[in-house]
Amino acid sequence: MSNIMLALPSKGRLQEEAMDLFAGSGLTIARPGGARSYLGEMTAMPDVTVRFLSASEIARELIRGTIDLGITGEDLIHETAETGPMQVEIVKRLGFGRADVVVAVPDAWIDVTAMDDLSDVAADFRARHGRWLKVATKYVNLTRRHFAQAGIAEYRIVESLGATEAAPASGAADLIVDITSTGSTLQANGLRILTDGVMLESEAVLMVSRNADWAGNRRRTLDALLEKLGAAAFIL
Amino acid sequence: MPAETRREALKALVSGEGVNFITTPILIPPAPYFDLAGEEFGARLILTTGADGAEFCLRPDFTLPIAIEHLESGAATPAAYGYLGPIFRQRADGPAEFDQAGLELLASPDAGAALDQVIAFARAALDVYGIARPAIRVGSIGLFETLLARSDMPEVWRPRIRARFGHRQAMSRLLTRLAGPHKSEAGPKGMPVGDIADWVSELMLTNGLSLTESRGPEEIAARYLEKQALEAAQVPQATIALLREYLAISGEADAALDRIEALAATGGIALDGALETARQHARQLRNGNGNNGLVFDAAFSPRLDYYTGITFEMTGQGGSVLVSGGQYDRLLRRLGADGDVPSVGCALWVERLEAEAVR
Repeated sequence: MSNIMLALPSKGRLQEEAMDLFAGSGLTIARPGGARSYLGEMTAMPDVTVRFLSASEIARELIRGTIDLGITGEDLIHETAETGPMQVEIVKRLGFGRADVVVAVPDAWIDVTAMDDLSDVAADFRARHGRWLKVATKYVNLTRRHFAQAGIAEYRIVESLGATEAAPASGAADLIVDITSTGSTLQANGLRILTDGVMLESEAVLMVSRNADWAGNRRRTLDALLEKLGAAAFIL
Repeated sequence: MPAETRREALKALVSGEGVNFITTPILIPPAPYFDLAGEEFGARLILTTGADGAEFCLRPDFTLPIAIEHLESGAATPAAYGYLGPIFRQRADGPAEFDQAGLELLASPDAGAALDQVIAFARAALDVYGIARPAIRVGSIGLFETLLARSDMPEVWRPRIRARFGHRQAMSRLLTRLAGPHKSEAGPKGMPVGDIADWVSELMLTNGLSLTESRGPEEIAARYLEKQALEAAQVPQATIALLREYLAISGEADAALDRIEALAATGGIALDGALETARQHARQLRNGNGNNGLVFDAAFSPRLDYYTGITFEMTGQGGSVLVSGGQYDRLLRRLGADGDVPSVGCALWVERLEAEAVR
């Protein structure tokens, strides 16, 4: 068997840019079932089956190894599983879909400009307010890692799956960790990014799953595809 | 001796005379763990959600469920609890189930005797697995807290330094920062605290923030000024050097404690009672362990603020920790008791003990 499964984002700019990337390397992807179909074909390389999935599904399935390679946001790999980045190999950074995962505090916290300040505030918070400092985010793993690196242990994460930037105003949390490309949404909500508060500079990446089966001919198909795309070789 | 016999012997130790063998539920609410240990330990829990949205975790240790049960029976009643059973934690390579055994002595009238009993229990358990002379590492929370309380520094820094005890990286980062403080920031220097607070509260209201739910304007203004005044509120370089030197002390217990005594004398800090207590604890741990390495490590502490007094761990030939234990007089208060309750205990990693036995 030499067939491999490539997953691409199923909508939006991420999809367009991903399709353009393949077309630019002479690997135009056709959608015989029409633009709404979730299956695609690569005429130049019939051994590559293309599926269109949501960006977060791509991250999850790459980590599980049920798809072989795919394009999605780097942030999603970090977020889907704590050891997610170890389960995949980034073979090409794509330069689109750029966004940063950042720590932002209310602008009114004029005394807090860097993670060190946050570390002082966190250390005193419980004694002052009788509860832990609350951080709203959907980036649980990244937050835990970044806060641990800054030596901050005295906080609780409040999981937020949408409109995280509203959490401080609604009282759900004291500060947030969120993804932003221009910072304007944060600004509009009276939030400010800490000077050393960028946890991850994310972009769309082409990734190969380490957990997929890479025996024999499948490996050959993968290597040929990566070469055509000018991507780094995959080292298992 | 076959493995089953060893386990039977261990079971006998945790359910001996005067020890209440206790089996706590496996599926429990995670809130107490998050409340006491925060996100760092929370990341190690194996969590699940009920159909009604309620969160549960698989028991990650016995100490906390036992302390909670004990509170219900009256915090001040002396009690000894023994346990043996599975605990569950996330590990880097996936979720895992371990067997843990242990002894917890709560509200004992004689703290010294209780510590002796816990140490004797740990030793008896190691004997079952044929481990005669474990390497022992000991740390003292009481000693560090005393040193910190008597060191020369602005009051605001004491709790922040204390909060980093037990986390080498975070502590070193904080001490480095204190040694070379940031320059004061441009801002309304000289503006009285009340005016800054008004200005902050105006900004908070504009942004739709509650003035009472989170950090209030006065708190922000006060810390803003404190930052401004950092040059005045600096921790003296001598104090930072002293703390660094203290935290670096690690070695054979008597020699290490002698070095601490000398260091304190040079710095003009009276450790008196705390140092004698640490020496006494070291003697208790050494008792019966011959001259095999008893190491006092000044920076060694769980990073949890309810630990007090002494903390220790015993390591086998394989290098993994077999027993960890210590005093945690503040735990019951944190769970709702009226004040500190003398508490001491230790937990044993059964699979690791078994691995040592078959070495």
